Amino acid sequence: MNQPLCKPWEHQLSRRNWLGAVGAGAIGTAGLGGLLPPVLADDVNHNKRQVLFVWIDGGMSQLESWDPKPNTQFGGPFRAIDTTVPGIQISELLPRTAQQMHHMAIIRSLCTQDNSHSAGVARIQRGDPKNRGVTYPYFGSAVAKLMGPGQSKLPPYVWIKPGSGGFKHQDAGFLGPRYGALAFGDGQPPENLLRPETLSEPQARARSELRQRANNRYQQGRNPTVTEANSYVFDVAQTLMDRKELFDQSNFSASDVARYGSHEFGRHMLLGRKMLEAGVRFVKVNSYGWDTHGDNFNGHASLMPKFDQAFAAIIEDLAASGMLDQVLVIAMSEFGRTPRINGHIGRDHWPEAWSLAMAGCSVGRGIAVGETNAEGTWVESEEHDIGHMFHTWFKALGIDPQHTEYDNQGQPLPIAHDDCGVIKELLS
Amino acid sequence: MAASRCSARAVRIPKWPSAIQQRTPRQRDRHLFRRQAVVPQLNRMGGEKRARPGWSPNCTRSFRLLLLGLLIATGVWEHKALATPPLHERIDELVAARAGGELGPLSDDAEFMRRAYLDFAGRVPSVTEARAFLAETASDKRQQLIDRLTDSPDYVDHMTEFLHVMLMERLGDDEAWQTFLQASLAENKPWDQMVREMVYPDPADEMQRGAAFFITKRLEKYGQNPVDMPGLVRDVGRLFLGVDVQCAECHDHLFVDDYKQQTYQGLFAFVGHTFIRRDVKFPAVGEKLLTKKVDFKSVFVMEDLATGPKLLDAAEVEIPALAKGEEYLVPPDKKTKFPGTPKFSPLQILAAQLPRRGNHAFEKNIVNRLWWKLMGRGLVEPLDLHHSQNPPSHPQVMALLVDEFGQHEFDMKWMLRQLARSQTYQRSSRLALSSETSVDTTDPAPSSYRRGLERPLSAEQLLASVWQATGPAAVEASSAAAATSEEQPVASESNTSVDTPSVKTPADEPAAAPPVSLETLREKFTAVLANPPREPEITINPTVKAALFLMNDVSVLQLLVPRDDNLIGRLAVMDDNQLVADELYLSVLSRQPTAEEQLEVAEYLADHVDARPDALADLAWALLASTEFCVNH
Amino acid sequence: MIQSNDTETLKSRFETHEQYVVSAEPQIVAARFSPCGTQLVAGGFDAQVRRWSLEADKATELPVMEGHDGWVHALGFNTAGTRLFTGDSWGQLRGWAYDQPHPTPTWIQAAAHDGWLRELHVSPDGHTLATCGRDQVVRIWSADDGSLQQELVGHGQDVFCVRYHPDGRTLVTGDDRGVVKQWDVATGECLGEFDASVLYLLHRLQDVGGARVLAFDKTGQTLACGGTTPKNGGTVQGTPTILLFDVATRAVTHTLKLGAPNHCLVHDIHLHDEGFVMAVTSGTPGQGQLLFQRPEDDAPFYVNTKMPNCHSLSVHPDGTRLAVVATNRGSNGNGRRLDKEGRYAGNTSPIHLLAWGAQADA
Repeated sequence: MNQPLCKPWEHQLSRRNWLGAVGAGAIGTAGLGGLLPPVLADDVNHNKRQVLFVWIDGGMSQLESWDPKPNTQFGGPFRAIDTTVPGIQISELLPRTAQQMHHMAIIRSLCTQDNSHSAGVARIQRGDPKNRGVTYPYFGSAVAKLMGPGQSKLPPYVWIKPGSGGFKHQDAGFLGPRYGALAFGDGQPPENLLRPETLSEPQARARSELRQRANNRYQQGRNPTVTEANSYVFDVAQTLMDRKELFDQSNFSASDVARYGSHEFGRHMLLGRKMLEAGVRFVKVNSYGWDTHGDNFNGHASLMPKFDQAFAAIIEDLAASGMLDQVLVIAMSEFGRTPRINGHIGRDHWPEAWSLAMAGCSVGRGIAVGETNAEGTWVESEEHDIGHMFHTWFKALGIDPQHTEYDNQGQPLPIAHDDCGVIKELLS
Repeated sequence: MAASRCSARAVRIPKWPSAIQQRTPRQRDRHLFRRQAVVPQLNRMGGEKRARPGWSPNCTRSFRLLLLGLLIATGVWEHKALATPPLHERIDELVAARAGGELGPLSDDAEFMRRAYLDFAGRVPSVTEARAFLAETASDKRQQLIDRLTDSPDYVDHMTEFLHVMLMERLGDDEAWQTFLQASLAENKPWDQMVREMVYPDPADEMQRGAAFFITKRLEKYGQNPVDMPGLVRDVGRLFLGVDVQCAECHDHLFVDDYKQQTYQGLFAFVGHTFIRRDVKFPAVGEKLLTKKVDFKSVFVMEDLATGPKLLDAAEVEIPALAKGEEYLVPPDKKTKFPGTPKFSPLQILAAQLPRRGNHAFEKNIVNRLWWKLMGRGLVEPLDLHHSQNPPSHPQVMALLVDEFGQHEFDMKWMLRQLARSQTYQRSSRLALSSETSVDTTDPAPSSYRRGLERPLSAEQLLASVWQATGPAAVEASSAAAATSEEQPVASESNTSVDTPSVKTPADEPAAAPPVSLETLREKFTAVLANPPREPEITINPTVKAALFLMNDVSVLQLLVPRDDNLIGRLAVMDDNQLVADELYLSVLSRQPTAEEQLEVAEYLADHVDARPDALADLAWALLASTEFCVNH
Repeated sequence: MIQSNDTETLKSRFETHEQYVVSAEPQIVAARFSPCGTQLVAGGFDAQVRRWSLEADKATELPVMEGHDGWVHALGFNTAGTRLFTGDSWGQLRGWAYDQPHPTPTWIQAAAHDGWLRELHVSPDGHTLATCGRDQVVRIWSADDGSLQQELVGHGQDVFCVRYHPDGRTLVTGDDRGVVKQWDVATGECLGEFDASVLYLLHRLQDVGGARVLAFDKTGQTLACGGTTPKNGGTVQGTPTILLFDVATRAVTHTLKLGAPNHCLVHDIHLHDEGFVMAVTSGTPGQGQLLFQRPEDDAPFYVNTKMPNCHSLSVHPDGTRLAVVATNRGSNGNGRRLDKEGRYAGNTSPIHLLAWGAQADA
């Protein structure tokens, strides 16, 4: 049956009233009130968990990365190499990551629903839940909503990407623009981050203090929610300004740059690490240009080493600093690539049997879950959809995916596909 | 993102009322707020007289007048009129009856004044206006202010912006559309007529034809998306009828029993065969021939169904069988690319059926939206989800307003004035005090209207308010004058306002940059503060982006550089810190400072004797960035 | 001097006619005629070396030669026609006495390169062969016993292609940045570079294009370097391009743009003795060209677009025929696509055996 093409009222409803409970304390239609960190995840005060979401846009080939099938019909030219985990081999294009495999988990049994980018990118990142006529949030927006910004006072969802930056509200779906991403285009800071020279630091501080005093006076005798919402965004802005060194790439140590790579992806991953260290709840690092319908093997020969370099470096660093216990790392695309090699020596879109890599929090270390058949054409073990991954990720973050729901103006909505569940083998 | 056909502001043509004797760029800019009044000001004084273009079907209205006459003649009406208090009092009675607790206090004059200026002039009052109003002693001064503001050109500008944002939802703008809105507001055109023109505009009427933009903009492709015809159907439903039927495109609505697939498809049959006319430069809608019913089937029940144009509960419109060659009133012309005027025009029928008394959905929608504009909350929420399971919070208020609005021929200015006179509107946003010392911390439900609801400012309101607050003291005196002198050419160079003393920047500072232009600010404010396209501006959330903008944007900060004709310039030449505090608070927050605030100003200035202009800017910036300034309370 | 009707004449003489098609399944990288002209040999995506015995109207496949891994990406004969050399994408290099029913390797270099051995070329005298690979190194081997003779280091990039100069004293190698180096075979010294950087683009993270194929003319005065003028990475797009260099000055004399951006890459080049360029291209699935163009012309005098995605071009030693490796139609498609039997089938490489005009009529 065709899916009804709804742009339904639930969507509108909740965008306007993103403060879940419009009860006492809400501010009429103003909706200014909900900027307080939402509390839904269990034990939120103690939940310091963070997410590094590495998005490989266009579709990394599973056969040239996590699930090599060397010397088979569709296996391509590359070798498989041993990793630090006996029995787990990955593509020779990932030599550095192979040295970090004992920190990581691979899942090779993904079988998802969409083979087009236009729908697939969003569908995967929204967890492809059952159609309830609402636009679900991207994973980053979901985590921002469910876990809040944490103690850092930095925006909960930042997106480091090539190209343009800005405030990307679209990711948030029915949660409302507030849960969108703050995107650092080309790793650059947001507009107006830097204090103009005409304004001295003490003067700016003094202004801020005067503003807060004015707000305190206004708040007396009024519902505090409006002022708190307003103060919150100024606090976040101030924190970003105070942490502007995060964006100063001249601060990056030469050895870090050498390890992560001086290319765009390496620099963005390094910036991602700094964001995590600064306490940002959800950091998405994005690489574009992986849609290798043509010249797939030369393409991956060029692309994969850059991914490998930066990804292995951050896994190594997070593990060394102990942060990996608190940071859930995910590296994935919207789908894999066809085993069949087309006439342009490319691989096309393949949601049928593909892989992704994870690490951190309670994700098992040094494991590979699920398997494809000998030629890599189909999943041979139990198939897992993106809904299973959302369940598993939420669980790893300390959010019970079975019992946590979005409250969309009274309409309860599951946070992950209700027919899927946690992949227990992935968690330790 | 939709590429707008032209920028919202590019279409504004400044006019230079000589009475203001404008001179500085800033003063000229200020007047860019004025949209050019493109028609003779037929009547600025309310809805008593109005011009009705002749093409519009007047029969129903004449019939109503006749009926009214009959009622009066038979004494029924007269009796009712005598027995009934004014509308605003009846509103208050009904609201009080459902308050469920003690009503909060009324606003003081300053709170009321600021609210009224924001709601009717789209900005805060100038310091001069504020002083004058606060000093006024007449007992009906609030009513006078409401009347004065709603008769000012600011009202036309603000309502034009309000309707533009509400109806176009930041999709884009067009010069002819602005002409239509501006002219309509200037003559206080009845809402039913405006809607009639938006649904079926007369392309021959230059003042009116831009109304087609409501439809044509929605027929444009944006990005790689195809023409969003369901979106057009949806917006007609949402914005004119208060019902969002899009979810009923493929099946009866899953959650709203009233919204049937038939509702959607019937509406689709009215508007779904439209296209953008390419033979003319202005926005114009063409209609393909509708010769048979629209086929549809539910994705749940595979039954073949069909409908002709059908508006909610109204009867389905019969599609006439016209002989080949007889379909057009004016046949298409290949040479001029004129697409033809069909004899059977669903849009024309929709224009007759939709905006009229007795179409309750139409009536309730607009009443609810006007109520929302002033009260901060709709009687029905969400504004576009009227249905039987989602009744108004105050059904009697809704019924009363619908009745009265209809009787007053959909006169929006009349309605807004009535609402603003109510105590419900004039209540303070402060929580009621349960005792003298402690605050009642349980905030009443917003739908009780026991206190005034705080509302965010639109990008336009915030810009106009920032501009006003940081600008000259008295330029607003020109507003009224501008209303009567808009046909004047550019003002001659003459003296600036005499009451702004001259101020010099310290000699060791580099020459001040030229004043920032209003156009520059407008682009920035809209980019930072407006919602994205298709995102109804019902709520506007504070954002980090906006905070950074107010903190660090150089053009915003430049407004706080002392000049002859601005706030900081005025403050800089005042020696008495108490006067400084008064002028500052009245200019920015439209109220007198408290003793605590006076002290704060004095102390801060004392601490920064060496950098007094900077310190003044700090104090002003803090107030501009404060919650009190950024919301309508 | 060129006569105005020359291209017409050339076209009528060199227009190709298909004799028959040999289908290789799974796909192959390239197919070459043996120097004696009786065999067609190809390296496959299935680690196998395939051979066909050629007859007038058909080809009979001979037993496959096994022992490689990955893709058999490099392949070449000595001029005498006594030895075949093959290299694979895992770095193994083999010498074969191939002209027997079940050939055995004469020698094996199991790790001639670390990984992908991109191409090999046998010296004109047949004593040595040169290989290049993803390990960024160029190596020269003894054709007799496979011993390493020389290592040419300096590209610092994936080296795609290698060709001996017809005089045998130098060789040229091209890398993924469009740098073509000329080396003194005796000393291993880099003599200079040909600039083919127009064939390279860094798009986002991806190094796109590069010097993909090299060919000398018979005299050794002209060097052709083929690839694409890249537009973007990902699904690589670009205009197939051949640069012609004057070998003496290393300057570009001609730039041939062969088709539209969706035609993408020049995969193989042969400089015909009569002074025109023969090339095959492979673009977005379905797009393939066999084209002949004189350097001085703006357009090819002959284009054959009937063969999708052409990957190699081999001219028969008798000069009357050629073999073009193409791809089956409908080779691409997203997601699950099964054949009639419900199998997920791979693609194939039809090898088109073509003859010039005169022979086709015979």
